[in-house]
Amino acid sequence: MYVAARGGEEAIQHAELFYQALLGKLTPEAVQLVQRQLPFLLDKVMGEGSLYAPELAALALAQTGGDVYEAVLLLRAYRSTQPRIAYAEPVAADNVLTVRRISAAFKDIPGGQVLGPTLDYSHRLLRLDILDGVAEDDSPAAPAAETAAASTYPAVADWQRSQGLLPSIESDQMQAVDIPDVTTDAILFPAPRAHRLQALARADTGGVLALGYASMRGYGLIHPTVNELRLGYAEVEMKHPLSGESFSAGRVRVSQAEVITSGGQSGKAGYQLGFAATLGWNEVKLIAASTLDLEMNHHEPHPAHTEEFVMYHTEAVEASGFCIHFKLPHYVTFASSMDSVRKVIDTFYTGDKPASQELETMKQVQP
Amino acid sequence: MTPPPYTRAEAEARETFLALMWALSYPGRVYQLPAHKPNFELIAGSLLDLETSYFTVDAKLQPVLAQTSAQALPVDRAAYHFFPAIGEEHLAALGEACIGTRLYPDEAATLFIGCALGSGLPLTLRGPGINGAQALQVSGVPKPFWHMRQAVCRFPLGWDVYLVDGQQIVGLPRSVQVEFK
Amino acid sequence: MILQDLAQPRQDYSYAFMDAYAKRELRRRILKAIAIPGYQVPYASRELPIARGWGTGGLQVTLSLVGPESVVKVIDQGADDSVNAANLRRFITRMSGAETTTDTLKATILQSRHRIPEEIMTEGQALVLQVPDPEPLRGVTADMSKASQLHADADYGQIWLLLYEQLVRYRQYIQGASYPSLVNGRYIISPSPIPRWDTPKLHQSAHLTLLSAGREKRLYAVPPYTAVYPLEFSDVPFQVEDQRGWVCKTTGIQNKFMNELPQEDGTAQYELSDSGYAEKLMNRGKTAPTYYDDEGNFYHAGYLRPPVLPTL
Repeated sequence: MYVAARGGEEAIQHAELFYQALLGKLTPEAVQLVQRQLPFLLDKVMGEGSLYAPELAALALAQTGGDVYEAVLLLRAYRSTQPRIAYAEPVAADNVLTVRRISAAFKDIPGGQVLGPTLDYSHRLLRLDILDGVAEDDSPAAPAAETAAASTYPAVADWQRSQGLLPSIESDQMQAVDIPDVTTDAILFPAPRAHRLQALARADTGGVLALGYASMRGYGLIHPTVNELRLGYAEVEMKHPLSGESFSAGRVRVSQAEVITSGGQSGKAGYQLGFAATLGWNEVKLIAASTLDLEMNHHEPHPAHTEEFVMYHTEAVEASGFCIHFKLPHYVTFASSMDSVRKVIDTFYTGDKPASQELETMKQVQP
Repeated sequence: MTPPPYTRAEAEARETFLALMWALSYPGRVYQLPAHKPNFELIAGSLLDLETSYFTVDAKLQPVLAQTSAQALPVDRAAYHFFPAIGEEHLAALGEACIGTRLYPDEAATLFIGCALGSGLPLTLRGPGINGAQALQVSGVPKPFWHMRQAVCRFPLGWDVYLVDGQQIVGLPRSVQVEFK
Repeated sequence: MILQDLAQPRQDYSYAFMDAYAKRELRRRILKAIAIPGYQVPYASRELPIARGWGTGGLQVTLSLVGPESVVKVIDQGADDSVNAANLRRFITRMSGAETTTDTLKATILQSRHRIPEEIMTEGQALVLQVPDPEPLRGVTADMSKASQLHADADYGQIWLLLYEQLVRYRQYIQGASYPSLVNGRYIISPSPIPRWDTPKLHQSAHLTLLSAGREKRLYAVPPYTAVYPLEFSDVPFQVEDQRGWVCKTTGIQNKFMNELPQEDGTAQYELSDSGYAEKLMNRGKTAPTYYDDEGNFYHAGYLRPPVLPTL
């Protein structure tokens, strides 16, 4: 087979080899080490990749030397080749095996505040003694509780609903196959809520944080109070295709956040909830995302009040891909623009001197 | 690395699609569907799945279309319409077929109509895809259909029509004007 | 029956990478795009193993067309051996087994970023243009929903106003590449960031042009033999890049689109942008007629008009 144009092809093959030379040797052990030591990085990558597969996420991270955007792209590209063979049953918050669950809205809540695993109240000091080899990592295991904690907890919002503070919700009897899917549908605006929540679930953590933070800091219209934040393990319940019986295909780490703000819907008194959930545990993303979930309903004046703005600009793979595409040669487009600029200069300049006052306005515009 | 296998299913779907694509690109010219399967079955296999919908009045074709998992919808909501044979009695219902909206003209229906090409009513086609004018002769399509199409196709709105005769296929996108006497 | 019976044998990738559902969806959209010349058809746009913004839109279209008998040419900025073109070509052949070529006339599918070749393409060829931003009204409104409404209403007053403002300020149109053009008298498109030199080549072309933006999830088409006019006021004609007098340093040819190469002494040299055409000239191969002849005359007589500076 005749293969066109050899030069470029060799160059890219060598470039890839140079890159790989910078990484440690890719072995099953190296991948397992990533998977064991970096669960929160794995969660971030799986959430943004919208593919729950810790082993593949670890492989993606090892293969890209920890470049998170590249790792997410690897997972997404792999995901898009996988057939959809079935739909899981919906996961309800009060059925999730919950290990951490807090509410900032109340001192205590039904079922209790569960601090669970977190660094929130730790001193962020580098363990330099580990580097020196002086000390082993000898942190003791947390003591076992005398009585086992509950594995599931009621939703705080249910209490508020029973008090009439939040509107009650009807469970939607939609078939799984009919739920709009942002990964297989064309995106149109106004977007269905399913698309919004899916887009936030797989959004870039940094992007969601930047827009959410801008809203929280004062560009937004609401003051978010964390109504409930949960980390847990959800069963992936499926119906057997023949017997119709439910069975669990495995457990996935999930997290969800709700923020609450005063001012009910359509002018009524009360509160509104913003919601976000994702695969993996990623608290900062969810608090920002659930704030945006509320903000995206208001148009103007801040960009984060428009769902189109939020959904397009927090898309990790699109944003990073487009940004780095500016490294590609653009010399044809640049030549075209230079042609226009030269014509304008020729029109308005004589030698080095401006031919007229009009020039001053010209500098402001780039073709 | 060896490329993934070009399976028979892939070949059928792709070659059918290419015939549809070129037929729509050069309206009025005759293109060939692959030989080894009934025409409407090939078209359904190449375009339909659970993300789209169809309408047909043909009892024999119905199960073939259903097998693609596409939704059977009433005439005013279906995306792909199949008429192995079309008579004047079908036209009233066809008048309900979706012509798209100004915001989403791509929501318009696509009609696949069985007919005989090369004889019958002489048509002259003009518009995108045609270098000047293109002649075409069609029988088996009632003349009022052409009046109806003329009334319905107000670009960018209107139906996209395929005329199917055995494995021969001709495309008539909404953008094309059809003149006849 | 056990679960394994329902699973298919492991196969790492489908033919041409995309699975049957993704291909079918894209193929349905391509047909709509051809039926509605210039209308931006929304599509789902699957992730590919190439970064978004690097030609994934064009690639999805190419992958839904390509077969073992296809002959594929891929260019970036006119060049076949550009690293990005090489990478896309490598992926297409790896996933389809299609043959590749640098000869415009031999290609059945020609995927390009930012150029249309110099030799006149023929019937039955598909030109796939990679599109970073499909929205010609972006300068009028950044909001896609508002822009769609303007297209729906054929409400193009604001883009004409932009052109008019350019004339008032600069006495000429200052748009570089991606020059907005009216297709079939109805929709304004961005012809992708091709230079103005290439824009007229879309008018009444014998080949099919498919334009696809993977990141923005829109695809649109210019069918063969379709009217495409760059926006221009009747008294101030649209102008292509002025490269009169530029001579290619390797082939000695003129009146084809050139790359300008800055030299250390402050001067510039020029070389043909279309590397496949240059290759043919160098090898004294048979070349086909070009859109602009050796005197710089465009192949549709009267389509391009001489420059006029308005007196405003």
